[in-house]
Amino acid sequence: MKAGADKAQCIYSSGEKKELNVDVGEFSLFRTNANHGISIMVIKDQKKGSLSINKIGKDDIDEAISTVLNMAESSMPDDAYDISEYQEAESFSKGDKEPALNIMYDRMEEFMEYSSNTFPTTIIEQAILDFSAGTSYFRNSNGVSFDETEGSYSFSVMFTSKEGKDISSFNSAGFSSLDIDLPLHKGGSINRLLKESAAHVRTKTVPNKFTGDIIVTPDCIMSFMGFILGNLSDFRLIAGTSLFRELMNKQIVHESLSIHSKPLSDNLSGGYFITSDGYKAEDLTIIENGILQTFLLSLYGSKKTGLQRVSNSGGSLIIDSGETAFEDMIQSVNKGVLLSRFSGGSPSDNGDFSGVAKNSFYIENGKVQYPISETMVSGNIVDMFQKVKHVSKEEVNFGDEIFPWIQFEGITVS
Amino acid sequence: MINKDLNKYSSHFSIYTELRMQENRNNHISMVNGDVMGNSVSSSSGVSSRVYNDGNWGFSSSPDFSDSAVEYVVKNASDNVLFMNKRKKKQCGFILPDISGHHEIDLSTQRVRNDQKQWIDFLRNIDDYIASKYSFLSSRTVVLSGLDMEKSLLTSAGSTSYSMTPRGIMYISLTMNNNGEPVDLMDVFGGLGQLEDHFLDPSHFYSDIDILVEHLQKKSNGIYADAGLKDVILDADLAGILAHEAIGHTTEADLVLGGSVAGEFMGEKVASELVTLVDYANTMNKQACPVPVYIDDEGTPSEDTVIIEDGSLKSFMHNKDSARHFNTKPTGNARAYAFSDEPLIRMRNTAIHPGTSTLEEMISSIDNGYYLMKSSNGQADSTSEFMFGVPLGYEIKGGKLGNAIKDTTISGVAFDVLKTIDMISSDMTWSAGGMCGKKQWIPVGMGGPAIKCKVNIGGR
Repeated sequence: MKAGADKAQCIYSSGEKKELNVDVGEFSLFRTNANHGISIMVIKDQKKGSLSINKIGKDDIDEAISTVLNMAESSMPDDAYDISEYQEAESFSKGDKEPALNIMYDRMEEFMEYSSNTFPTTIIEQAILDFSAGTSYFRNSNGVSFDETEGSYSFSVMFTSKEGKDISSFNSAGFSSLDIDLPLHKGGSINRLLKESAAHVRTKTVPNKFTGDIIVTPDCIMSFMGFILGNLSDFRLIAGTSLFRELMNKQIVHESLSIHSKPLSDNLSGGYFITSDGYKAEDLTIIENGILQTFLLSLYGSKKTGLQRVSNSGGSLIIDSGETAFEDMIQSVNKGVLLSRFSGGSPSDNGDFSGVAKNSFYIENGKVQYPISETMVSGNIVDMFQKVKHVSKEEVNFGDEIFPWIQFEGITVS
Repeated sequence: MINKDLNKYSSHFSIYTELRMQENRNNHISMVNGDVMGNSVSSSSGVSSRVYNDGNWGFSSSPDFSDSAVEYVVKNASDNVLFMNKRKKKQCGFILPDISGHHEIDLSTQRVRNDQKQWIDFLRNIDDYIASKYSFLSSRTVVLSGLDMEKSLLTSAGSTSYSMTPRGIMYISLTMNNNGEPVDLMDVFGGLGQLEDHFLDPSHFYSDIDILVEHLQKKSNGIYADAGLKDVILDADLAGILAHEAIGHTTEADLVLGGSVAGEFMGEKVASELVTLVDYANTMNKQACPVPVYIDDEGTPSEDTVIIEDGSLKSFMHNKDSARHFNTKPTGNARAYAFSDEPLIRMRNTAIHPGTSTLEEMISSIDNGYYLMKSSNGQADSTSEFMFGVPLGYEIKGGKLGNAIKDTTISGVAFDVLKTIDMISSDMTWSAGGMCGKKQWIPVGMGGPAIKCKVNIGGR
């Protein structure tokens, strides 16, 4: 502010990541990354500049302030630029500060032994177990002062199955957690997806082109949900290309769907306490029984569109589970696909999509028949979310998100 | 500017060691419907070290460039490999190939540097041109993005290198409404070089904008493609992504070890005899490629990797460890994105070698098919089965271009598709902004000539 800004915000963060890597079934790398950084945003004459560096010497910071002020002065004014209003100072913390390194190694070793014994035809191409911890300090010129300290574990694995010359598509899985108390294969969908991979070395195409149901797994649902959420967010609402701009408090998806963003939920190890624009984050419901409850607009997006600001930064998604058992969903399908992974092009702005069903299975007469390849699914995402037949009782907690299986009808499969 | 000469730190090395200093600098300005939505610069810099011992790697990084930070990361990386060696049964006798090289290249612009106001004025000029000439558009997005990657390297094998490799890109994305439904199209300009090397005069892009709007208008009246296996021409964008995603990844040696289908095909006929597919290290036909790599981040001098030659699978891409495993030479494909990243086997500039046909000859040879011009995204897997989004294409009827088509996707098994190639154009175009994700994101070059082949096209 002394340098001449009208408004300013600054985030200083520092932390460390420790990461164990397995490549092609063997321990390969132990990596340690220390880092810190400063992000500065200034507003002057309603013009804005942003800068981030990871040098924290006084001269570096002085130069950064001079640069970001010059950037703001060079820009164009916009009445929508602003910073968050004063809130009570608070400190938040979650998770450990230091990893249990030997236990991390033990868990990884246990996972490798489990996968090679249980799924001998499956190759673990890469597995990564890391622990990241750090602290962020948020300050702005309206007196906002938040501190946030977090530490969590994250596991991801990529795998392919192979029998002779027959190989499966690769697949991947993962989860995050505040601890490593459970064996890694019990996290998220890992055990189920490893099992499916082993079954996927020999595939067939679907017998013919048809219109039927797809049951989208929790691992795959964000391939479609992302389009719905994108239409509720800053870019599309500001650009005027959102399909839902006029539909607040109206039904935008099937009434069986309720979708929440809960960064503070005790059921999620991920999450956050502070939004990127300087507000204390809150849990919220985005869609309740199909009806739109809130757009996902930042402070800037809110001022730009005249619509209400959302009280968090999105993510930490929870889709409420339903009342139908997964097995009953399968039995209800005449012809369809159990869609575990979708390799698709970016949907059109109107929601049209098409792509390849990967690591997926053909369903006929209420039974999973066989693993499929070279099979395309296509439809329109907006239409599809209006045609939900069932939502499963079962759900998967990935640490950052909790999703059930969702059955959609009227999808073209070829 | 980072320290070019790291030799004074060699005394810290006791076992196989790499030491890298790096700074990545970004400049990003975005304008949506005439408003500046993003105006930011960032830099991320630091030092990292990786050591190898008995089949294990240890890695450590710090944002500090000081002598004590260098000493710390080398020691910490050594401690990390020691931890692994203590926990894991030793794989004694594993020795990496002893290869070294020296190279220095600075591709910084020779022009006077623009300040942020000049770049915002440049974008405003572009946006004003679009808004005034094409008022029927419902949305305009124009983005300038610059990335400078500056690295210096010292290895215990004796390699030294310094590189400053910039990329300057402009994206233009336009949307119009047709019967209440949005239709969009995007194009990308620029490539190797800083922003000043590509974007000094906005009027140079007016004709490109006119062409983009013409395609968008045709697309807004476009038809759905007729789904099924079709004769198609994949223009450079799509031929490039086919070479990179669907073939290139399956021939990265770490993915071969992970079970990719290419592991079964070495030496076999995997494509039409017209096809030679190369991962170029730094130059092609004496012209710099989009991502020139002279020494990789393990200190190996980079060479072109001929993956497919006259239709036969010839080579995989290697780092030192995979070369040790396969008992061959490393190819200089080990690359890291940030100072805090370890080098992975990555492609550099991957393309099918040009052929002898003209695009006109190729179009006239198709009675019922499609000319597919742009890709929106692409994915492939270890089987070489691929899917690419196609946001711009035209039908071909009786050897002539017809209606534009709506957004669609193409899919197939790449090693099968390559066998159907029967014409390749004689020209060659690199795509402007290729990025590849594999644990880390990294800039890559991909492109090629147009190819005529058979693929599955999605429809409705």
